[in-house]
Amino acid sequence: MTELTPADQRFVAFDLDDTEREQAGLNGHTLEQLSDYLDRGRVPAEKSIDDSPDCEIALRGLERLRRVQASLLELDLKRESLRDDNWIASILDNISLEARAGREIPLAHPSPTARLVITEGAVRGILREAGDRLENILVGRCVLVGDVSVPANPITIVVDATIFSGENIPMLAERLRQAMHSALGRYTELVVAAIDITVSDLYVAPKASVPDEQNR
Amino acid sequence: MLGRVGEQIASPLDTATDQMLADRAADGDLRAFEVLVRRYGPLMRVYATRILGSNDETDDVVQESFITAWQQLGTLADGRAVKSWLMRIVGRRSIDRLRARRLHVNIDDTDAPAPESHAPHVLAETLSQTEALAHVLAALPEEQRRCWTLRELADYSYGEIADELNLPASTVRGLLARARKTLLREMEDWR
Repeated sequence: MTELTPADQRFVAFDLDDTEREQAGLNGHTLEQLSDYLDRGRVPAEKSIDDSPDCEIALRGLERLRRVQASLLELDLKRESLRDDNWIASILDNISLEARAGREIPLAHPSPTARLVITEGAVRGILREAGDRLENILVGRCVLVGDVSVPANPITIVVDATIFSGENIPMLAERLRQAMHSALGRYTELVVAAIDITVSDLYVAPKASVPDEQNR
Repeated sequence: MLGRVGEQIASPLDTATDQMLADRAADGDLRAFEVLVRRYGPLMRVYATRILGSNDETDDVVQESFITAWQQLGTLADGRAVKSWLMRIVGRRSIDRLRARRLHVNIDDTDAPAPESHAPHVLAETLSQTEALAHVLAALPEEQRRCWTLRELADYSYGEIADELNLPASTVRGLLARARKTLLREMEDWR
């Protein structure tokens, strides 16, 4: 990188403590200002920066630092992604499903002393499962609206779904509604007044789920 | 996609949006949560390791963070923000660890000498520069490294860093400026 200062001569602006020298070396600016300027994509253009060869050196240094940082992050992420899955298993093993169980929903039982319940979380699981058996649709949030603790009290179910783009939305929604109705009938005693399905998103054809870790 | 050992059978969930995954996980879907762990766990591990300065405690911190996340998913209003929400949790956990560590040992790791390899005659290749940067980052004084990492990996604003670290904004500004200069100076030496 020959465009920088000669190797035996330190660039004054990178001095650690002296703000005055820093500004003197950068046409009145600080490195922080230059860094913010880069963040803004060098717009609006500032003549006193753009026309200063010293600022240009500093900007190049900052840009290089960003490049190397980005490739370091990429390298670290690659390394982490190549690890074995033990750490994931250990996280999942330590998770308590009860934390997301929600309300308890009574089930009838012939014995007066027995108390049988199914959790709201389990019902949501049944609803998701019904959706996941269908193709081209993904079920998101499922909410049971109404007092589920009172047997035979009619409730409404509100469901968010995503449908693959190009599919017939009303037809798939109807299919989902039927699947959910019959699954609930099979496993619960809930009286369902309605299942409201909102298709909130169209799902675009699958592509690799690389985390958007870097957009700087 | 990055290759991973023990790749799951492809499922539509693998490519689902963050919002879908966060919603399902909040509803108790462990499979959706696992996709989030796979999607953001590596970044969270890198982040925690940078804040902590080593990877000794990364496993613990990241595991605790995901357990907290699972318990608190119901409080996340907008599932689209799940990535920054997770980063915030793991950042906080890492900072707590540092504080706890300081209570036990009175360490002062400030201004550790830069490793030998930074002599100006070496390192032209990008890979070596990258490794060299890793060393310089690790050798930064703890407070500078924390500020820098919050800023660069989690996109925190100056104000947010100040809140998170309980420091005056002016101090954060100063720490970031020092970190920036140190990194730039070291990089000059690698030419």
